Amino acid sequence: MKTLNVSCIQHFSTGDGPGIRTTVFLKGCRQRCPWCHNPENVPDDPVTVRYGTTGKSVIYGNVMTFDEILSEVIADKEFYLASGGGVTFSGGEPMLQSKALSEFEEIIKENGIHTLIDTAGCVPWEAFEDVIDLTDTFFCDYKTADASLYKTVVKGDRDLVLCNIRRLVEAGKDVRARVPLIPGFNIDPAGCEKMCEDLLRSGVKNVDLLPFHRLGSSKYAGMGLEYAYGSVAPPGEGEISGIRSVFEKYFRTTVE
Amino acid sequence: MTLKGLKEEMKKVPAGSYLPDFYRVRGYETSGSSDPSGIRADGIRALFTAPEPFIYKNDLIVGSIASYFVSPSDEETKTVEKYMEKHPERDFVKNGDHFAPDYRTAVELGVPGLIKKIKRSKEDHKNDPGAVAYLDSMEKTLHALAERFLQYAEKAKELIGSEEYDGERLFTIAENCSALARRAPQSFEEGLQLVWMIHNCFVSEGRYAMALGRIDRYLFPLYEKDIESGVIDDEYATDLRAFTFMKICERRFFCDYDDVVNICIGGVDRDGKCAVNGLSYCVLHAVRDVNLPGPNLSARITPDCPDAFLDECLKVIGTGLGYPALMNDEVNMAALSRIGYDIGDVRDYCMVGCIENFIQGKQPPWVDGRFDPICYLLDIFQNCDGESLDGITSMDRFMSVFEEKLASGVEEYVSGTRSESFVPDPENHTAPFLSCFCDDCIGRGRDINMGGAVYPSVHGAALMGIGTVSDCLAAVEKVVFIDGEAALSEIRDAIANNFDGYEKLRQTLLAAPKYGNNDDFVDKYAVWYTKTLSDMFDRYKTADGGAYYTAMAANTSNIWAGDSLGATPDGRLAGMPLSDAASPTYGRDEKGVTSTLLSVSKPDYTRCACGTVVNQKFSPSAFKDGKREKLLKLIRVYFSRGGQEIQINSTSREVLEDAMNNPEKYPSLVVRVSGFSAIYVTLDRQVQRDILSRTQHETV
Repeated sequence: MKTLNVSCIQHFSTGDGPGIRTTVFLKGCRQRCPWCHNPENVPDDPVTVRYGTTGKSVIYGNVMTFDEILSEVIADKEFYLASGGGVTFSGGEPMLQSKALSEFEEIIKENGIHTLIDTAGCVPWEAFEDVIDLTDTFFCDYKTADASLYKTVVKGDRDLVLCNIRRLVEAGKDVRARVPLIPGFNIDPAGCEKMCEDLLRSGVKNVDLLPFHRLGSSKYAGMGLEYAYGSVAPPGEGEISGIRSVFEKYFRTTVE
Repeated sequence: MTLKGLKEEMKKVPAGSYLPDFYRVRGYETSGSSDPSGIRADGIRALFTAPEPFIYKNDLIVGSIASYFVSPSDEETKTVEKYMEKHPERDFVKNGDHFAPDYRTAVELGVPGLIKKIKRSKEDHKNDPGAVAYLDSMEKTLHALAERFLQYAEKAKELIGSEEYDGERLFTIAENCSALARRAPQSFEEGLQLVWMIHNCFVSEGRYAMALGRIDRYLFPLYEKDIESGVIDDEYATDLRAFTFMKICERRFFCDYDDVVNICIGGVDRDGKCAVNGLSYCVLHAVRDVNLPGPNLSARITPDCPDAFLDECLKVIGTGLGYPALMNDEVNMAALSRIGYDIGDVRDYCMVGCIENFIQGKQPPWVDGRFDPICYLLDIFQNCDGESLDGITSMDRFMSVFEEKLASGVEEYVSGTRSESFVPDPENHTAPFLSCFCDDCIGRGRDINMGGAVYPSVHGAALMGIGTVSDCLAAVEKVVFIDGEAALSEIRDAIANNFDGYEKLRQTLLAAPKYGNNDDFVDKYAVWYTKTLSDMFDRYKTADGGAYYTAMAANTSNIWAGDSLGATPDGRLAGMPLSDAASPTYGRDEKGVTSTLLSVSKPDYTRCACGTVVNQKFSPSAFKDGKREKLLKLIRVYFSRGGQEIQINSTSREVLEDAMNNPEKYPSLVVRVSGFSAIYVTLDRQVQRDILSRTQHETV
């Protein structure tokens, strides 16, 4: 039986692409962004989060059959069609399951539903080849222009990310670069300019800026983990609009 | 003149106590009539004309209940009580208020036109002394209204030159008022002044929840004329509205409770065409500007109404106000058509009170009650011994036992509500002023509650706890009849002990499918619930032959009913609220709003002619530009699937929590409660908690 390793499925996700979407969060990620707001999706294995406010425990991690996932996402088809929405695969890093994912996307496409993959981009190009024809839109993170920070902090490969973005664009795909705005990490004006230069070279036209928020902190607490960004203040309105104006010089830019 | 200035003025509560009847009984004292309606009309005349008119410095449209503050002596109070006992008023359960007057005819004809119509009718009924006498009483109340206009005109003139009053405005007020005593309104401003004065008269009569109805329809001709000729612009029309609606809130400031004055915008015209117009937007913006509970705004949403209109509604909702409630016009009209009203009247419906569908100006005032099916479900457990309980060996059998109990419960409810509404001496409970604004009381020369109205009275049975009942039935089916994990007698023992010592069984029951997650296993019971109960109520008629409507809405009764109720088989503990209105039990709809709405749109709501309340809560970010469109499409799909209503709170959980702890910081935070909005910090703690517990749909 064909399966995907799913963390959870979220209906009416309004931040994960156009229209009304259902987001299938897949388990597993090899990056280690210390600000990550979905820590429960990082390990491949199931994770139990005990929420302090409700006292409720939720297990994230469930190997689901294609049928199970399909029945969950197909229920909202009418909402997708009316709003120009669809299904988003996020994570974790959905591209770690690219083979199975492509088979599942095939079913979604047979049902006439828009597909979107939200990836950190640190996977070999071959993984993208698995899904490229079945994915309408790619969201690909770009976190810093500093290759060494990418390596030491994110545990990723800047050049690989940029190369993947470029190849997706060259393949004619709809691509949006997603830049998290992390205080003390990547929001200095010079760094932003540098990111713009890199992204411009990749050929991407659309950039989404994602200001850091602390909504994930209850999950860290519920997992018994220390949240390195627990006391970092989100960037202010002024700061965000300053960064936005940098990106707007080069790209169609939105702030999520 | 500012809206804020008007609000500040309203905060100064007049001296004495609010006692309109103080003036009414003067008319009773001096009445020379021997006919009960004639005496009543004399009372109304005194009520309208004896007190000094009151005009605010910031008034654009005049008419205020501030006139009715008096400081009576003990003896005077006794006199008031004595006469009011002798000439009793109908209250809510006796078809006394919750009415949408026929303002269209009033605006078309004006007060003199209505009087002329009465005179003609007297001619037609000249051989029917009873009708003529009643028409005389009606006419007397309209003359009193005309006199009231003249008094206000005089008062306005008198005030010209007074400190802080705007002389030019007072002059216009005087002109408007004296014109309205003579003729039909000829401008939008006059039309609004006429309607507000009539409304204010109803309020002085002690009537509550008197709807303004389809104000964007009956004032539209005057609005359109004035806009076209440039007499007013949309900004001024909005201001006029806002300054008027603000005074609905006099009750809050003077008497410490909110009136629920329903105002209906959008929908279709009598030919079925989309009726959204410029005035609809003005009303929407006026309610937003007032930003207080009281004007209870409803928007009738048709499939072909412009997205721009729905979007504008969402913007106003997103301010936190929770208005307007969004009504699915197709479902409501289908439900009313089933009752058998003329199609034009169906298309012209509005709401009274919270969400109750009403044929404007053509039926007696609304009445409703609460029907709680859960006690009949619990009755199965409580009044069966273990043996006969476990003798129920299939879900089908369980359902037929439940249905039998429900059927006798409905019968009992109907006879109870009938006797509650019964008035032994209707001729001593007439409403001659109210009857002037109900078709066809004038033509028939009869009182609104004695055959004057075109349609008979209806009763709304508010069905409680659809979510709780569905969850209970699904849990029984799953745990007892499918998985065999517990016997019915064990569930009986567990709920009798509030699950004390039965925690494992409670967890098993809680794990059964829950309403609101788009799971047919449990949703089928919501479908059954709506159909079965509507079928049962369909068998009955009100005393004058009208329908028993059903509603899936019960204000905050779910909290009080739950408070005194023991544990239930869905795993709910004793004292916890029942599910609210048509919504799933809060916190149990865990799969997001699309799943919630897919569940909620499964029952056939064309069976619920009264209406439905579905409370949803979204974080404020869902209303931002770019995100709001998703909400709009969500509602469109929900309505296309047959959802009847949705009303939305957009105040964040953090703010609500903070307001509970620091009420002094939030004196004017308005939230949607049920079919109405209220100032959050004035609500009972339990109601606050219920609102807080609503599942908040995050958009992050």
